[in-house]
Amino acid sequence: MGKEAVARFEDPGAEENDVIWKNLKKTNDLVSTWLLHKTVRIFSDIMLVLLIGDLHIPHRTYAIPPKFRKLLVPNKMQHVISTGNLCTRELYEYLRSLASDVHVVRGDFDTDTKLPETKVVTVGKFRIGVCHGHQIVPWNDEKILDLLARQLDVDVLVTGHSHVCSARERGHRLYIDPGSATGAFSMINDGPVYPSFVLLDVQPEQIVCYLYRLIEEQVKVDRIIFKKSKELA
Amino acid sequence: MTMTDATSIEQERALDAASKVVKAEAFEMKRSLDKGKRMDALKHASAMLAELKSSLLTPKYYYRLYVDVIQELNHLESFLKDELEKELKQETIAELYEQVQYAQSIIPRMYLMITMGVIYMKLFPKMKSELLNDLVEMTRGVQHPLRGLFLRHYLLGVSKSLLPDLPEDAQLAIPGSGTVRDSIDFIKLNFSEMNKLWVRMQHQGPSREKEKRERERMELRILVGTNLVRLAELQTLTQDVYVTEVLPSILEQVVSCRDPISQEYLMDCVIQVFADEFHLATLNEFLASCKELAQEVHIKNVLIALIERISTYVSHPDTPGISEDIRLFEIFSSQAEGLIQSRSDMPPEDIVSLHVTLVSLAVRCYRDKLEYANTVFASLANNLQDKNVDNVEQYSAVGKELLRVLRIPVDEYKDALRVALLTDYARAMAPLNYRGRCTAASYILQDMIQMDTPLKTEEDVDAICLLIDCLLTDQPDQPADTPETEEFTDEQDLVASMVHLVQVDDKDAQFLLLNGLRKRFGAGGKWRIRQTLPPIIFSLYQLILAYPAPEGDDSARDAKLKKMFMCVMGTIGALVNSGELSQLPYNLYLEGAIVANRVSFEEKAVVVYELLSKALSVLEDEIADSRERLSALAVVTNTLIKIDCLPNDNWEPLASQVILAGAKMFKKPDQVRALCSSSYLYWKGRVDGSAEPMRDGGRVCDVLKKAVKIASQCMEPLVQQQLLIHLLNHYMHLYEDGCDKITPEILNELISRTRDASVQIEPSQEADNIEKHLQHTLQYIREAREKHADLAEHLQI
Repeated sequence: MGKEAVARFEDPGAEENDVIWKNLKKTNDLVSTWLLHKTVRIFSDIMLVLLIGDLHIPHRTYAIPPKFRKLLVPNKMQHVISTGNLCTRELYEYLRSLASDVHVVRGDFDTDTKLPETKVVTVGKFRIGVCHGHQIVPWNDEKILDLLARQLDVDVLVTGHSHVCSARERGHRLYIDPGSATGAFSMINDGPVYPSFVLLDVQPEQIVCYLYRLIEEQVKVDRIIFKKSKELA
Repeated sequence: MTMTDATSIEQERALDAASKVVKAEAFEMKRSLDKGKRMDALKHASAMLAELKSSLLTPKYYYRLYVDVIQELNHLESFLKDELEKELKQETIAELYEQVQYAQSIIPRMYLMITMGVIYMKLFPKMKSELLNDLVEMTRGVQHPLRGLFLRHYLLGVSKSLLPDLPEDAQLAIPGSGTVRDSIDFIKLNFSEMNKLWVRMQHQGPSREKEKRERERMELRILVGTNLVRLAELQTLTQDVYVTEVLPSILEQVVSCRDPISQEYLMDCVIQVFADEFHLATLNEFLASCKELAQEVHIKNVLIALIERISTYVSHPDTPGISEDIRLFEIFSSQAEGLIQSRSDMPPEDIVSLHVTLVSLAVRCYRDKLEYANTVFASLANNLQDKNVDNVEQYSAVGKELLRVLRIPVDEYKDALRVALLTDYARAMAPLNYRGRCTAASYILQDMIQMDTPLKTEEDVDAICLLIDCLLTDQPDQPADTPETEEFTDEQDLVASMVHLVQVDDKDAQFLLLNGLRKRFGAGGKWRIRQTLPPIIFSLYQLILAYPAPEGDDSARDAKLKKMFMCVMGTIGALVNSGELSQLPYNLYLEGAIVANRVSFEEKAVVVYELLSKALSVLEDEIADSRERLSALAVVTNTLIKIDCLPNDNWEPLASQVILAGAKMFKKPDQVRALCSSSYLYWKGRVDGSAEPMRDGGRVCDVLKKAVKIASQCMEPLVQQQLLIHLLNHYMHLYEDGCDKITPEILNELISRTRDASVQIEPSQEADNIEKHLQHTLQYIREAREKHADLAEHLQI
């Protein structure tokens, strides 16, 4: 991966999604058959983590695009990590329906005061930190994000607020912004906002990161691979 | 032991005994057949069949015995048929047909006669016409209801493949082999005889067992219904014959038997088994008979079944257009109305069910005639009013039906605006209680969201608001705890979502619609506005950002934008004052400032300042919680960094207000964090006219120095260390960003202080984490040192 491996969104066509799910599922099945004969530790071999946030329903928009709804169905992923701004109870329930393990931090428009500002979730060998990002001064400043990642001592830092989907590797760390799953408009973002979310396939020594964006009614998927840094480990 | 158990044990015993005889006789019968002793075989068959004379068994057990016997009888039939087929002598089979008629008792005699008759007809089709008639007539001899029903069922079953199905005027290749006429006569007679037997069952035995008998009769209904199925299966039964002969004779039988169970079942049977075209041709006759049925018959079930059948047919895309002469809707609605009027004891849920069917007919078959559907809703509302039905709970029988009827046009039209054209729809909602009405209204909103139904005019908005009125304002029958319920929250989210359906290309028209909605929602009270006003504000922001750029001096545009911001401020103000909220309106003011900063209009700076100062007063007066305050200060700092249109004398007081608010935080660690983040104001902030951020290192350092001083005053070693590391990181960041007021000496001082402190801290999990943070920080600084000559020279690390 280059230093500035900004996700480029190629257009692999709609079938690509199915292929991805299928491949993932195939691996999953293999793992479960293995599990019957080998050690239980294998279970951690495949972990799918959904990163999603800044939905702003019903403040700025009213629905997750149907094409995403079709992809985001129960029993596909094991964890959900949200950058917040779900804004409704119903959406929280929806995330709970996707996976049993759901982590949400507080966005600037979440009314639930019980939500934490930051959170660290360990998946396999990786520490994943999450923070909405409105509290970071200045907004989306790379150096300040570095600073937060150092403070949380994480391999992956997930933040939102920008409504732009991106994944960058920098200084042995992976920085991800899943964007806005509803494509909600943003005051701080002049360009068009494409609905997006990110899926992490957490493997023992690496994370395969899939970025999903909905551009002109087409789901486009891009993939980047992040390898666990020896130095940090 | 209960009665039922006792009976079922007795029954099992009786069945067991009979089955043993059947098995033994069947065994002997087969042995005789194998030995070629035909007469012996028939004797054993007769003995076996004699078991069906039993009057001990209830229908359920009699049926089990019957199935066993018939299986054996079928063996006899196919064995004899194969044998006789070889010689194919009519005399032999005619003789056998004669001989079995000498059997002593009638049950074995009739069964064997039918078996032989079937073989006869199969081998000599020319006999069909004569024998079918013979058999169905002879069977009259058995008048015991249960035995007669099963015997005739056997007759109907074995003759199935033999029934002639050629047109009446066909030239027959084999004279005597029969036409559809023979089949019709055969089935008609069998049907009327079976129905008579079935009805007679009701009148046998003591009257205290009435319910049990009714249950048993229900179990047997299919035997009677099979006749109608068979009639419907005749390919050459023409519509003409159906209209002039078949249906009249069925209806006559049904009406004259005067038995409610039979009537309700058979009417339903007719509806289900015969072709759609036949029904369309006989609507009047059928409906006329309905009026002559017994009082106990649930005619609404019959009517509903018929209407559903017809509307499914008519609305099917493959159906050819039906004649205008058949005024289906008028016929059915007047029938339904007549029925309701004539049966004053009809329960309200039945009245609603009838309307469900009528609405379904109207919207499915007459999509263009809204007045039809509307008539039904009006009639429903009137009927329920007459019966004083109100305050209906949604899960009650009436409530469920009411919600069902209300959902039909929503589901079928898939256009809430079209539903809104049904002027009496809302009246039909009225009998529901508060919760029920809310459920119905939410259903409409959900459909709008699902279908992306755009609201383009004031009329559209008014029409929808009328339908969902119960969600918009407090209702007289609303329970006191309503705002705390999940339903309320979810419903208000739906109302809020509706704002995004207001989609007009013309910006001014869009503003008028949003402003109109704001006024409506504004009347919703504290709880509703908390959820429903924010989307209006965001929609206004979106509208403002999309407002076309000015062309020269455009004072009209300036005025419009100013008006929109006034509307925004008024709406946010309502959230503070009536909604009693703080965090949300605070954020909305700040977002508004960023929006105003992005568009160009005359009073931009004034509006931005106004929005920011309003935000800061909310912060001062309403946001007390330290965590909320800390995050609020970060957001306002970020907002100010984004704003570049304020003149210096506006910017300065706002910035110092933010720094002051940070310094005034209740807890010292919070003061440090707040100062640390707000110090960026003097680094990244921009005032009007300057193209670059101010990068005022002196003032940044002043603020940070103050933060270091406060951090040093923190008595808790762990917290102090945490804050110093935090500050060190920010110093380092600003240094790297080019802040020359930060010297290696300042960094050295902080580094040595954190190092000193780290050795004094008591070990704990928390201490480990902080130490790790320190090490990461120092590692980072070491790497950075290589890039900066100044640091490489002076930094002691």
